[in-house]
Amino acid sequence: MNSASEAQYREQPAKRLRNAAIRRTGSSAFMTLLGKECLELLRSFKLVWVPIVFVVLGIMQPLLSYFMPVLIEKAGNMPEGTVIEMPPPVGSQVLADTLSQFGLMGLLILALAFMGIVSGERNSGASALVLVKPVSHTSYLLSKWVSMMILTWGSLLLGYAAAWYYTWLLIDFVDVGPFMLSYVLFGLWFTFVLTATLLFSTFLRSAAGAAFSSLGVAVLLSMLAGLMPKYMGWSPGALSGLAYQAVTSEVLLPLNSVSWWSIATAVIGIAVLLMGSVVLLKRAPAHD
Amino acid sequence: MTELLQVKGLTKSFGSVHAVKSIDFSIQEGRCVALLGPNGAGKTTTIRMLTGLLAPTSGEVRFHSLARGEDHRSLIGYLPQTPAFHNGMSGMEYVVYSGRLCGLSASDARKRAMELLERVGLASAAKRRVGGYSGGMKQRLGLAQALVHHPKLLVMDEPVSALDPLGRREVLRLLQELKSETTVLFSTHVLHDAEELCDDVVIIRDGEVALQGSLAAIRNEHRRPVIELKLEDAPHAINWAQSFLQKSRTDELRYSWLSEAELQGNRLYMTASHMDVARQGLMEELTEHKVPFSRLEVGYSSLEDLFMKVVSG
Repeated sequence: MNSASEAQYREQPAKRLRNAAIRRTGSSAFMTLLGKECLELLRSFKLVWVPIVFVVLGIMQPLLSYFMPVLIEKAGNMPEGTVIEMPPPVGSQVLADTLSQFGLMGLLILALAFMGIVSGERNSGASALVLVKPVSHTSYLLSKWVSMMILTWGSLLLGYAAAWYYTWLLIDFVDVGPFMLSYVLFGLWFTFVLTATLLFSTFLRSAAGAAFSSLGVAVLLSMLAGLMPKYMGWSPGALSGLAYQAVTSEVLLPLNSVSWWSIATAVIGIAVLLMGSVVLLKRAPAHD
Repeated sequence: MTELLQVKGLTKSFGSVHAVKSIDFSIQEGRCVALLGPNGAGKTTTIRMLTGLLAPTSGEVRFHSLARGEDHRSLIGYLPQTPAFHNGMSGMEYVVYSGRLCGLSASDARKRAMELLERVGLASAAKRRVGGYSGGMKQRLGLAQALVHHPKLLVMDEPVSALDPLGRREVLRLLQELKSETTVLFSTHVLHDAEELCDDVVIIRDGEVALQGSLAAIRNEHRRPVIELKLEDAPHAINWAQSFLQKSRTDELRYSWLSEAELQGNRLYMTASHMDVARQGLMEELTEHKVPFSRLEVGYSSLEDLFMKVVSG
């Protein structure tokens, strides 16, 4: 009895030490995985070309708005003496247009860039070699998700800031408050869609399938939110519309309760999608 | 000798296909064990369940040094049949990365990676991208990454099947060295590889263990005297052989020395239960019927014969 409790007593610190070791391994494994993901983004040049595409997209919108009258004039084909009256572009409207460009082209590019992020490794068997090591499925997926988010929020910020700067130069100044709020709202929308890409990439073998399934979800959600704003205002699909409103409003947009709901459902949706991916990955860590 | 792990009632079904049907075996510490079986016997499925990559339908894999339910992945080093890496990384980077994932510190991982790459003969290619490696190099890199954390058990799925003879020799030589350092389990469908390396074999067929034990014990226990009789191409000889076969099946008493007989063309193969009685009995039979034979050979069944019998029987 005495020796048994003594043994138990002696075992306690050992166990605690081991648990601490596991925790330490856990966080260092996550950092190692994240490092690898970032290295891969760099080596595959995604870390270079995706931000460049966003910057180009961002600059294009204010440039086009600014030079539109000149472009139409120079396009020829106009009978002599045609007078075209165009309302002068408004800075905040240009930024909203930029966002809608990002929502189409930017999202497509990001979904294509990340479509094989899990399925590629699973099909080749590279994930098997990682997951037989003492690495949790959660940190494996979370490292991928964080790397996606770094590229997504970074590219979006660069592109959007470029748009904001050129709008300021060429058209007019837009306040930083609305700009930042719309950035965060739009970033949340991107995060939601790309987390869906991660889930589909875990779920489907085909990378293209993952990209188009998640883009399909994005289109469906924003269409529903656009068609039935009354009923679907709480869905994450309403976030992009909210972002346009945020940037076009004069002052910082006061978010009403429905808007808060759409933010909340997006955050919950992201968490659920991530957990779903972990469950799916646990069920089958590797294909043959 | 202590037992490292025990596999109890391990079962895996994919829908209605029962790939592995309640397998039991155990692995002693320090032994080299071959999981032997034809293609499709369930070797890879068993190995993937051992490594935790596949959840078993029922049954368990239990490591004795761990509490029930504890993660055993840190004890295992795994080399799949065709290892795939992150092709953008260099060999060195990959082994360091593997070491870091297993909880080594950055400097330890570097040191260990250097040592292992040297050992598997990849030191000169350490800085090249893995994507450009040949099959044999990938196999050796796979071995290095599997060994990075000094695993208690090295698990390999068909480590040499996909290699050319030269690469095969090289990997076999490495394994020969490694088996003195750690416990090794590998699957193969080539008996020869198992014979060359292993202490123990587990032969599986159709998802079930057909035979298991130490190689030496199996060899002794299942060694049977075999008599091969080559007959002249005369109708008389063939007739005799056929009636002899008939008799051997019906008249058990008289042919008690004979456990099995088989006629292939003009060759009669007999597996004897007692060599001396068999020799005597057969000679009597041959003289009595004046059987024209051209050759009579007495020998012992090889492990190959046993394997073929177990696997196809």
